[in-house]
Amino acid sequence: MTEQHILRAFDRDLETIQAQLMKMGGMVETAILEASSALEARDDELAQKVRSADKAIDAMEERINEEAARLIALRAPIATDLRMVLSVMKIAGSLERIGDYAKNMAKRSVLLAQMPTVGSAGGSLRRMSKAVVGMLSDALDAHVSRDADLARDVLNRDREIDQMYNALFREFLTHMMEDPRNITACMHLHFIAKNIERMGDHATTIAEQVIYLVTGVMPEEDRPKADSVTSHGVDGAQS
Amino acid sequence: MTAPRRSLLAPDPRTIARNRAEARFRAYGLGAVGVALVALAVLLLSIFGNGSSAFYQTYLEVPVMLPEKSLDKSGTRDIEVMKKVTTVGYAKVLKTALDEAIEANGIIVEGLGKKDVGNMISDEAAAQLRNMVLADPTLVGQTIAFEMLANGRIDGYYKGRVTRESAALDSNVSPAQLDLADALAEKGLLATRFNLDFITAPDASDQRPEAAGLGVAILGSFYMMIVVLALSLPIGVATAVYLEEFAVKNRFTDVIEVNISNLAAVPSIVFGILGLAIFINFAHLPQSAPIVGGLVLTLMTLPRIIIPARAALKAVPPSIRDAALGVGASRMQSVFHHVLPLAAPGILTGMIIGLAQALGETAPLLLIGMVAFVRDYPGGLFDPATALPVQVYNWTQRADPAFVERASGAIIVLLIFLLIMNTAAIVLRRRFERRW
Amino acid sequence: MNDMRVSESAVGAQDVKISARKVQVFYGENHAIKDVDVEILDRTVTAFIGPSGCGKSTFLRCLNRMNDTIPICRVEGDIMLDGEDIYDRRVDPVQLRAKVGMVFQKPNPFPKSIYDNVAYGPRIHGLTRNKAELDEVVEQSLRRAALWNEVKDRLHAPGTGLSGGQQQRLCIARAVATSPEVLLMDEPCSALDPIATAQVEELIDELRANFSVVIVTHSMQQAARVSQKTAFFHLGNLVEYGETGDIFTRPQDPRTESYISGRIG
Repeated sequence: MTEQHILRAFDRDLETIQAQLMKMGGMVETAILEASSALEARDDELAQKVRSADKAIDAMEERINEEAARLIALRAPIATDLRMVLSVMKIAGSLERIGDYAKNMAKRSVLLAQMPTVGSAGGSLRRMSKAVVGMLSDALDAHVSRDADLARDVLNRDREIDQMYNALFREFLTHMMEDPRNITACMHLHFIAKNIERMGDHATTIAEQVIYLVTGVMPEEDRPKADSVTSHGVDGAQS
Repeated sequence: MTAPRRSLLAPDPRTIARNRAEARFRAYGLGAVGVALVALAVLLLSIFGNGSSAFYQTYLEVPVMLPEKSLDKSGTRDIEVMKKVTTVGYAKVLKTALDEAIEANGIIVEGLGKKDVGNMISDEAAAQLRNMVLADPTLVGQTIAFEMLANGRIDGYYKGRVTRESAALDSNVSPAQLDLADALAEKGLLATRFNLDFITAPDASDQRPEAAGLGVAILGSFYMMIVVLALSLPIGVATAVYLEEFAVKNRFTDVIEVNISNLAAVPSIVFGILGLAIFINFAHLPQSAPIVGGLVLTLMTLPRIIIPARAALKAVPPSIRDAALGVGASRMQSVFHHVLPLAAPGILTGMIIGLAQALGETAPLLLIGMVAFVRDYPGGLFDPATALPVQVYNWTQRADPAFVERASGAIIVLLIFLLIMNTAAIVLRRRFERRW
Repeated sequence: MNDMRVSESAVGAQDVKISARKVQVFYGENHAIKDVDVEILDRTVTAFIGPSGCGKSTFLRCLNRMNDTIPICRVEGDIMLDGEDIYDRRVDPVQLRAKVGMVFQKPNPFPKSIYDNVAYGPRIHGLTRNKAELDEVVEQSLRRAALWNEVKDRLHAPGTGLSGGQQQRLCIARAVATSPEVLLMDEPCSALDPIATAQVEELIDELRANFSVVIVTHSMQQAARVSQKTAFFHLGNLVEYGETGDIFTRPQDPRTESYISGRIG
């Protein structure tokens, strides 16, 4: 719906909430990228910054929810408008979770900085983060432009994240079997990898919301799954 | 480009000008109402000033001896025989009685002519006495208290119409008669009192204004109103209901509508010509009869009833018709159960106002002969009669100034009838008016 | 949306009560309704929405032939009530209107007593044999219209003395009194305050148990609140007809979408 509402204040309200969501998305993307940089560069200061930035993300989610509640109460949105407000609320929730994972990543990177490095895990994790950030920003762009095709593309890209996670999982297993002293570090790294994989899932949720927003129907649950960990017979503990 | 802010406390010139214009307009309006009120007041004052005296009449009250010798020579009290005595005989009886009364009271007035005493009694008094005696022959031979109508000039003297100066110039009355009247009044033999006969008595000839009454005119008007009511209410309401509720809107009904409006504007005298041509010359209905007057007035009143009746029907909100149709009432049920009762106050008001107009209508009645001099009360719709406004017209044509008073009195009676009808209209509307 | 379907089917019969095929309405030269096909279900509230002049009221008035009173109005196509063509030559609209009752935009009680208002329909159709039966019908109708408790002590007071909401419920009672099978309501709440509106809406929801209700409304919220099926009219066309829940969350036609979400369209 590119047409304007007869009541222009309604349009302004919708634009405001959309802008807030995009701003929150930007904050979350920054948090992921900085957390992964901090991990790779063993940069304590950057990690601290990520941890404190999460408070702003949480505050932002709260603001968006309040704005959405106000909009529902005052404007009684219907059809596309209703789906828009609902999707914004759900996306804000997902973004907040992603922000939490980024914070967790930063926390672990502070611990990891005091341990010896294990292989090239830092680089791999940063690449994985980048892929997730790409998915996230595409999903958010799709939300702004109401682009269901782009959102479907994001859905498909989740498979890549899963594959990256599987590769890392095997790598960490190998390291731990080689030298039990690596176990602590590898456990932390594994959690980080798992968190990034979860971020990917949340980006997928956002893309699904975009599809719902545009078409009015949730996509079928035939999401491409490439998480082969369970088939390895090993329980991937999750934080 | 915003104008500099102006304080609300300082009025701007445009506002002042507008307020002045409004004040001027109010003054014009008040002035117009004032002119109308003054005109009304002048009208009422002149009519009441001239006419209220018609409700009073001067009488001579003297004991009258009814001698058997002159009134019933046979002594049989046979009506047929007694009828042979004309009013002349009774006039002599009255004159004798008056002479005796003057003598008995020791009244002496100089300059009285030979006939002056007798002429103070109205010619009508003898006729009244004759009727009284013929109705009750046992009165013959007795002395009765009889109120003789005084002559119109004597009556005029007590109403300020005749003065000693005018009497000196008048061949019909002499100043000596006025002196005598004053002397009689002093002794209580002459008095002026309320005159019911003005309402009930029939018209009288030119020489007897003191006896003229409205009885026949009121009865004639009443009969005509019955005819108008009986014909125009059903026809008018049926027409209005049909045109408003049932008729299809097409060129034909448009023509009818326009013509009804035009008919309401047709001068009433045209209806008189129509009545003359159709009812009298073609249908050979009797002239001067209330039936013809009623028919003519019905023709004239119909459009004036149909138009307000249609307006009243139109004023019933369509939601009421919808409501009735919505629960499955037929068209006629919705009209007769709901629309017509709601429109009834308006229809009745229009009806009464139409009747009031018909009551006051003169011109068409002149053409169908209702202007004739009628002495006998009409017994029905086909008997000759006159009508109130025609009587007014008639009296204003007569020579004797005493008839001016009569005419104004008749106008007062007419106005009172109209007032009663209009009040009835207002009361009916108030009573039946319902809110929806 | 799913649970709405559950509640609907719980009411029971979903038989088609009125079925319209290729309905055209002309006002003189003006083609007011174009090719409308719709199936109105029994024991269901169907809402007609659409901008002013879209033909929704016109179509509603076709369903009990109220348009017959307008000389220049012409209706084509079939409208079947329980399989019988209501525009058949043999159908007397007076009888039809007893079966298909109507409630109007403005509360329009007759300027008579409350009792007489409700008793009018049964009286003219001769539905009752004696006073006792008529009393029974009046009480039942007023109870159905959720008005009995408010007026039982003043049945002979004028109906016009009631409040707006009460008057409208009185009109509903009057329509219900002839035991109709379908109730048509033309913007029944547009003249009422929110409380009275809520009462009438609650009443409509209760009436659904016995009647097929068709309601024309300008308030989207009202259509959403009371109806199970919604039809969107635009420029004389039936643009979209479906489950109310679907219409209000994911309308299929962009014109519907524009209209219900308050956009220029």
